[in-house]
Amino acid sequence: MKKDKRIFGKFIFSSAMIFFYLPILYVVIFSFNSSKSLTSFSGFSLEWYKRISESSEMMVALYTTIAVAVIATIVSTFIGTISAIGLFKSNKLIKRLIGQINDLPIMNPEIVTAIGLMLLFITFKVERGLLTMLLAHISFCIPYVILSVMPKIKSLDENLAEAAMDLGATPWQALYKVIVPQIKPGIIAGALIAFTMSVDDFVISYFVSGRGVKNLSMVVYTMSKRINPSINAISTLIIVAITIVLIVINVAPVIRRKIDSSNAKEKHFLAKKSKAPTIMVVAGALLLFIFSFNFFFASGGKYEGKTLHVYNWGEYTDPETIAEFERETGAKVVLDNFDSNEQMYIKLANGESYDVIFPSDYMIERLIQEDMIQKLDKSKLDFLDDIYPGVRNLDYDPNNEYSVPYFWGTVGILYDTEKVSEEEVAEQGFDIFRNPKYKGETYLYDSERDSFMMALKALGYSMNTQSEEELNEAYNWLLDAVETTEPEIVTDEIIDNMAQGRKALAIMYSGDAAFAMSENESMAFHLPNSGTNLWSDAMVIPKNAKEVELAHEFIRFNSSYETTIKNSNFVGYTASNEEAFDFLRTDKEYFGEIDAYTPRVGYEKDEIFHYDEEMRKIMANLWSKVKILATSK
Amino acid sequence: MKKISHLAVPYVVWTILLLALPMVLIVFYSVVGEGNTILDVSFTIDNYKKFFTDKDFLIVLWRSVKIALETTVICILVGYPIAYFISRSEEKYRNLFILLVTIPMWINMLVRTYAWIGILSENGVANKILSFIGLGDVQLIHTQGAVILGMVYNFIPFMILQINSSLSKMDNSLLEASQDLGADGKTTFMKIVLPLSLPGVVSGIALVFLPSVSSFFIPKMLGGGQFFLIGNVIENQFITVGEWSFGSAISVIMAALMMLSMYVVRAIEKKNKVDRGDD
Repeated sequence: MKKDKRIFGKFIFSSAMIFFYLPILYVVIFSFNSSKSLTSFSGFSLEWYKRISESSEMMVALYTTIAVAVIATIVSTFIGTISAIGLFKSNKLIKRLIGQINDLPIMNPEIVTAIGLMLLFITFKVERGLLTMLLAHISFCIPYVILSVMPKIKSLDENLAEAAMDLGATPWQALYKVIVPQIKPGIIAGALIAFTMSVDDFVISYFVSGRGVKNLSMVVYTMSKRINPSINAISTLIIVAITIVLIVINVAPVIRRKIDSSNAKEKHFLAKKSKAPTIMVVAGALLLFIFSFNFFFASGGKYEGKTLHVYNWGEYTDPETIAEFERETGAKVVLDNFDSNEQMYIKLANGESYDVIFPSDYMIERLIQEDMIQKLDKSKLDFLDDIYPGVRNLDYDPNNEYSVPYFWGTVGILYDTEKVSEEEVAEQGFDIFRNPKYKGETYLYDSERDSFMMALKALGYSMNTQSEEELNEAYNWLLDAVETTEPEIVTDEIIDNMAQGRKALAIMYSGDAAFAMSENESMAFHLPNSGTNLWSDAMVIPKNAKEVELAHEFIRFNSSYETTIKNSNFVGYTASNEEAFDFLRTDKEYFGEIDAYTPRVGYEKDEIFHYDEEMRKIMANLWSKVKILATSK
Repeated sequence: MKKISHLAVPYVVWTILLLALPMVLIVFYSVVGEGNTILDVSFTIDNYKKFFTDKDFLIVLWRSVKIALETTVICILVGYPIAYFISRSEEKYRNLFILLVTIPMWINMLVRTYAWIGILSENGVANKILSFIGLGDVQLIHTQGAVILGMVYNFIPFMILQINSSLSKMDNSLLEASQDLGADGKTTFMKIVLPLSLPGVVSGIALVFLPSVSSFFIPKMLGGGQFFLIGNVIENQFITVGEWSFGSAISVIMAALMMLSMYVVRAIEKKNKVDRGDD
């Protein structure tokens, strides 16, 4: 009977271990995959490790994570410990009150704590960045330190400190020599919790950080939308590092104890103390790492020591070009990513300062209206004539006084020719997303603007409609689409998934479609006759930019023939530099055979988005409702 | 001795500025009208009205609570036997087992969640195994199942560790006494082990339920963009929609709900302690 139980226990424990470690093993294995795939292993390679060592974004994030964790741990352990001691001696009322507030970060959902801190920093105009991240980490770590130190203090003999002082010790000496040594296990446990919490944190950092300061979690979060085995590689490094630390902490004392016990049994009690020095050595090594870091990134050049803060769409530049720009100028580029114009706008409106941003047409219109971006210095932009005339001088910025086009394109339907016929797509246009035949076979893009564009165009309305009635009709069109075809509503995952032929139909930006088509020959792109969105993303300099001259330099660099070819080829989006555009769209090695790369120009039903705050809000709200309905499917 | 109590002064200031004030601000933003400016303030409860009169938001809230409850139940059912196994194993192995449960928690939560994307995706390992045993191609990623799986994976170690710590504190002589008095294994478990481990279960519930209800990146990564939970609604309000006052109101509602449930959980815990005291 008893044996049976152990067998059951062993079985469930081993299954749990498989469950726990399978994904971790998976990450480690695929970090050595030679191809990009996350599902099939095609050969051993160290490619992704090479990539992360070359990616300054990843290295900086790694550094930020460790630096923040070490400093937050040290500070919160110190404050937490002395406060716990102080609180214990305080009167009941204060003790209770502070105890309650102290519980807030523990009892509250993380996202609420995060939003509270974000509102605090924004309300009092503290610029979000490394400092705010550090403050936030310290403040959610202290409560855990107090919680783990408090029980030890409670079990302390109160008379000890008093006895020490009676014998002539100052209160500090009493604290340091009598109290602290006795509560050490609590302090160490608290420090470990603080360190773990800080390294692991995503939600709070995500909300309180700014200006491109990212920890590893945030980098993983922004990168996880596209298949990116670099994540596996950096994760493997973390796993290895943690395993080593844990082995050092857990195994070293055991070995020492064994040696000690074989030497002399009386020494046994000493072995227990060995954890503290080990931890101190680890912490010391980490601190050294933090301070030595800046040496890595020193380089020469005209702009040496300057930092350019760039706010761009995710995966919108070839990292190689950034490295090249850094080499040429000697400046450091800090890249921050956004998923939508609205997300970018909110950050900008809250006073976060960037030097170059890459908004879309209608958003540029808004930024000009609200006086948030500055006129460019025309004397530095002698290359404007190299830009393809079709994207110059558009409505949102008639003389390109504020903006220089970067990428441009359309929105259309990407379809798998093996599952959908060309005639069918051509005949039904966007309405194919309401065709029950393709239930479970469609992707929609998670953007209120593009979704409403599709619906409005399908209904024959202007996508810049100001009629709420038409918007409501479009809303019902979208609800119907969600109900009949049960689409997956995704963002950038759409690109890799369509490249792998996961579904038959997707609504897609022409550039993403070009990328997917270059990876998968059976994909084709269609622009509906009902018209679509002709968009462009351009580089602008915000009013509060700090490195205006360097920003102009960056815009010029990105508009050059060579850089344009690299970026356009890397991302798949259509180049603005005319020479580069002509080369890429005709050369068979590049996009010569991919029609999605060359946008449709001059079609009367195609439109450019205009900015209208009221309509935007209605659309945003209706779109969340569409998504809520889609979830319950 | 007075001087030692002064040690807490910096922290008292700190708690007021960085813990209490943010909460005050959320409440403040949730009752002011549109816009982010502190000047020209007008108070309103429209944001709360909007939430409670719109059935869509209530559906999302209910769905989030439901998913969190399902996650918590699974964590108890699976976590309990594991914790029991650990607490009953020989002492030299026990620390190793605890370490094995703890290690995954040290690895970044996003990384752990990201790993499942590859496993669950359409031609991933999970589907290959399923088709190998003849269950064919199943849509795993971007389903509710995937979201719950991700949550269980991330939060079950908390449950195991909490239950284990209360089981380990149990006095073995109690079990012996029970057996000596003629109780069989089942009775001993039901009458002695289970009641004594309840505090661990209760604090485990708190540690699993709370993060599950408010998580927004697990649904986003494993559920896809069409998988919307209350955490996603809040994130969306702040990051893309920009209606901070409404986002703040939802945060207040959620915080209140959590405080309430924590209060209930703690009350049960206390009652249990009293009950045991009576025994």
